Amino acid sequence: MKRPGTYSGILSGGISGRTGPHLLPLARIKKIMKKSNDDVKMITGEAPIVFSKACELFIEEITKRAWNITLQGKRRTLCKEDVASAVITTDIFDFLVNLVSDSAKSEESQLTTKA
Amino acid sequence: MVEEQDKLLPIANVGRIMKHILPRNAKISKEAKETMQECVSEFVSFVTSEASDKCRKENRKTLNGDDICWALSTLGLDNFSEVMSRYLHKFREFERQKVEQNKASSNEEKDEVTSNVFGLKPNSSALLEFGILEKGGSSSAKRK
Repeated sequence: MKRPGTYSGILSGGISGRTGPHLLPLARIKKIMKKSNDDVKMITGEAPIVFSKACELFIEEITKRAWNITLQGKRRTLCKEDVASAVITTDIFDFLVNLVSDSAKSEESQLTTKA
Repeated sequence: MVEEQDKLLPIANVGRIMKHILPRNAKISKEAKETMQECVSEFVSFVTSEASDKCRKENRKTLNGDDICWALSTLGLDNFSEVMSRYLHKFREFERQKVEQNKASSNEEKDEVTSNVFGLKPNSSALLEFGILEKGGSSSAKRK
């Protein structure tokens, strides 16, 4: 007897909000992969699953480093600047330096225009 | 606005992963989660582009898990690459076992097996080893 929803939930990979045992929606990961490069046309089923785990590790790694910076500042709230500092001080995250600097700059200019 | 969100992973999911490895009393600002969302998307794009270039040079049309592991390594993310290679290996083992199970129980209800695509069989030690069931983040992971 078919259980309605189980099969479609897994296939949709999280469109309905359900992500199965994965922490991140596979369909969304697939979308980001496809948008990254026009050459990306076909992706095996395992690829978003690999990325789901890789993203989890990635988030954990940056969060751990950012939290150390939070603690150094004797704070208990991890803020955006802590994430930026964690990225800037870690060589392997060089590819993100412009991204975190840009968001810091855009916040600065927002504050300037408000004033 | 909707298009923008399509390029990012959901903030709730990202926030949950961040929270998991922090102490109980830790707080995370909304901007920190938003910054993390952007970083993760950039990570996916960055690695995918590299993997995609490899496929193109090798005249392959389909990007697979090995390409992602290779790209992680090439981009200096060796730690990630090693962990992901092991994860991928276990995943493929699990998939192989599932196929064998399918063949063995082909007379049983097919949808029951299908629902185990991502390893929801609670008594399978292979799944616990694989680590899918370790994370308690998802409420839809059926344990019984």
